[in-house]
Amino acid sequence: MGKILIVDDTLFMRTLLKNILFSGGHTIAGEAGDGEDGVSKYKELKPDLVTMDIVMPKMNGIEALKAIKEFDPAAKVIMCTAVGQEQMVKLAIKTGAKGYIIKPFQAPKVLEEVKSVLTS
Amino acid sequence: MKEVPVKIQHNNEWIVVKMGIAEDRVILPAPVGREILFRTVADIAEKKNILIITVKTDTESVYKILSVEKVLQILKKFILTSCNAYRLMAYFMSPAIRGGVMIKNAQWDKGSVVVVRSGIWFISATKQICVPLNDVAAIELTRRDVQGKPADVIKIDHLESGEVTSSFVLCPLSTLQVLYNYLRDTTKSMDMKGTELDGVDQQVAMLVYSGMDSHAIENMLNIPHKQLDAVYDKILKLGLGEVVTIRREIQLTTKGVRYITDATKSQTN
Repeated sequence: MGKILIVDDTLFMRTLLKNILFSGGHTIAGEAGDGEDGVSKYKELKPDLVTMDIVMPKMNGIEALKAIKEFDPAAKVIMCTAVGQEQMVKLAIKTGAKGYIIKPFQAPKVLEEVKSVLTS
Repeated sequence: MKEVPVKIQHNNEWIVVKMGIAEDRVILPAPVGREILFRTVADIAEKKNILIITVKTDTESVYKILSVEKVLQILKKFILTSCNAYRLMAYFMSPAIRGGVMIKNAQWDKGSVVVVRSGIWFISATKQICVPLNDVAAIELTRRDVQGKPADVIKIDHLESGEVTSSFVLCPLSTLQVLYNYLRDTTKSMDMKGTELDGVDQQVAMLVYSGMDSHAIENMLNIPHKQLDAVYDKILKLGLGEVVTIRREIQLTTKGVRYITDATKSQTN
């Protein structure tokens, strides 16, 4: 079980992920509504894992991932992309993302991916 | 021609026969007494280890054959190669995404895609995957990175044991377009305007999709049970969902209250 930071600009998605992760026995370290806030929360909370949306205001998910990786090269980040943004996945993986989920997603699969990244 | 023992449904009973398999036909001996040419097969579907074959000659007949996986694999291979269907050589990746999570090490298989009346079959040297058309949730012509280059593919979202699964088909664009149009036409009955559900209704539907139960949905959206029930009614009426569980809420009778009071007393004494 891990301490997880959720970075997504929509409250609905954050709440959904929070519920899914909580039901899987994980602790929510914190939430951020944009990439910039996500990076500063990462530095402050040092979570075991981050779920990171890609399209966000201020700083997008890829830029935030880059900043987090610069601060902590061992950071475990799972990217969340919407259907049709699969091209971004490759860029995210190149940048150091450990996993990716595509919205809309189903709870059991999200928990499997989180578990797999946490134990990797 | 090889002979293999199979069970076949005949006059509503399962009987054992020695079925003869040749490259272009199967021979079902008495009491069935039929020879099925593969090119006359109009549909082929699979439910667990039962193969359902629809043969169209002057009339239409349905045969249900039950056998071990190995026999069914050979039979499926022969039928899908020669049956009356829309067939194309293609690369496919199935499954590629399950429940929103990309499947690690998913690979492109070289083989063929066969579209029959009731489903889409992905066939390669090692795989025989059937996606029933009734389970197809979405079809999209999109682009995807294939060996470092963007390529046109068809993405087929389908339900598999309650999980939303996506498969990809890759072939020349002109063929893809034909396949896409064909699949769009066959699944047209599922098309909707997209305006049937309002904001909250859509959020409820999305949460159901994600696997949330009623209690979690009420809490997350901060809506009362009655409102959620009304949204469920709308979703059910549109055919977008089905009831799986009816949860009951109860209150204690006097007898129940007395029972709990006594139980609490005995615990505190």
